[in-house]
Amino acid sequence: MGFRLAISLLCSIGLLAACGHVEETRSARQEQATEFNQRAQRAYQRGEYQVAAAFYENALQLDVAVENVNGIAINMLNLAKVNQVLGNSALSQRFLDSLLEDKSLQYAPQHLAAAAVQKSLLRLQDGDVAGATIWADKAAAWCTTDCLLAGVIDNARASIALHEKDAEQALYWSERAAAANKGESPLEYANALRLAASARLLKNENDSALRLLEEALVIDKSLGLPEKIRQDLLLSAQAHEKSGRVEQAAQFRDRAARIAATAVK
Amino acid sequence: MKLPNYNQRLLTIEKRTQRFMLGAAGVLLLVLLMIAVRQNYFHRSTPILFFTPNAQGLSKGMAVKFIGFKVGSVEDVSMQPNATVQVEVSLDNEYVHLIGQDAKARLVKEALVGESVVEIIPGSQQVKQVSRNSVLEFERGQDASTVVENLASQLQPILSDIRQITSSGDIQQTMRNLNRATGDFHETVNQFTRLGVSSNKAMDRMNSTLETLDKAIPKLVDKADSTLDNVQSATADIKKITNESAAEIPSLVRNSNALVQDGQETLGGVKKSWLLNGLFPAPEERALPVDGYIAPKQP
Repeated sequence: MGFRLAISLLCSIGLLAACGHVEETRSARQEQATEFNQRAQRAYQRGEYQVAAAFYENALQLDVAVENVNGIAINMLNLAKVNQVLGNSALSQRFLDSLLEDKSLQYAPQHLAAAAVQKSLLRLQDGDVAGATIWADKAAAWCTTDCLLAGVIDNARASIALHEKDAEQALYWSERAAAANKGESPLEYANALRLAASARLLKNENDSALRLLEEALVIDKSLGLPEKIRQDLLLSAQAHEKSGRVEQAAQFRDRAARIAATAVK
Repeated sequence: MKLPNYNQRLLTIEKRTQRFMLGAAGVLLLVLLMIAVRQNYFHRSTPILFFTPNAQGLSKGMAVKFIGFKVGSVEDVSMQPNATVQVEVSLDNEYVHLIGQDAKARLVKEALVGESVVEIIPGSQQVKQVSRNSVLEFERGQDASTVVENLASQLQPILSDIRQITSSGDIQQTMRNLNRATGDFHETVNQFTRLGVSSNKAMDRMNSTLETLDKAIPKLVDKADSTLDNVQSATADIKKITNESAAEIPSLVRNSNALVQDGQETLGGVKKSWLLNGLFPAPEERALPVDGYIAPKQP
């Protein structure tokens, strides 16, 4: 009886202690920064990239003011991304550099890995294969425990290999990326399928490339990514053309051209 | 040798258990005490009464406010043998000295969709303060829907008057007359210009037009006067209604604002409470997904 009473009392005290639990408080400025970040994200999802950039800048300013290191890293990465979409490649690289070359603040390794992989892809876009490889290696070095970017880095390496027309390496990295991203990130899985298809096209395995592209197209349509859909269609056109199906190739090119005409990113 | 040791240990455990239980009971008592304080169990209050023909809108536990502050609550609502309703209100003792015996109790709604409260309307300062079982006069305040209904019922005849005035032939006829007179005058001036000053015919025509104008203008003035009288009367009615509602509307708006703010605060509190905070995770800054694909440059 006494034991039961003791247990009941313990439970009551536990319950009271739980009721008294006080949630971690955040400053008004930090909450405001979060609000700007969320508004930017909504604008980005609607395709309003200029608006998103303005909101991310506001969020960054507040995070710098209260020295919220994670917030600074997140908003720098987001600004780099938005400017990349807007075609401001130089500005995008500047944001990444200010994150990667910052000696005063210590950013989390996953943020540095994200910045490095973005930088690698930008270098590749500018045709600097050596630079892209260096930054991909750095990204891999930062991406150790609890890092969700392994699949992204593999895709970046596959892109580098494709740029060098190394079909075997491209296929190796893209298949590794597909395995890492399947069920985790549909966006990266579709990227891996597209890269694998490009590698297969280099090896003249056109039918298997088409099968991969069909799967990627379905995913990209479900994600609503016009540029990716266009790329899937153009690669499909290339596969049909290589197989001698000129009419089908023309149809796919026509479909891709219609998407390009909308100029929706 | 082992048995005394065992007994000793048992005794120690018993003592510790006792201490622990005493501590726990102490904490429990403290919590109960805090709840009691929070629930005003130790608060001293004075019961006062008022009577009303019906209990509509009145209920036990309803807040009693004085110049916007909660000063008590409705303790009991009961029907009397003569079919009236007796309402017993418990007033906090610290506020009793502010309420005279000629104060009034009024049932008001705090906002458009808010709770009803009993509001104490202060009486004269010179009159003796209320005491135990004092009886206050009771009246029902107008709620938002009543104010809106009154406004609508009083505006309706004014609107129909305005419609009648504007659609009646008076103004239209007046405007037609004016148009015709202006047209005649314009034509005359033209002729006058064409023919010159020596043209007697034109002068005659001008004279005739001026005569027409002379006749038309007094009529016009009369009709304009009557129209202006009607408009003035309508404006006076609107002003009167606005004045009557002026006291109610700002308080309604203010109370609605306060209600919305209260709602937001309550929701914020609920979201942060231990039981529900798991359902509403605190928002955090998020990074956009990294896209590991760069489209090849177009040839």
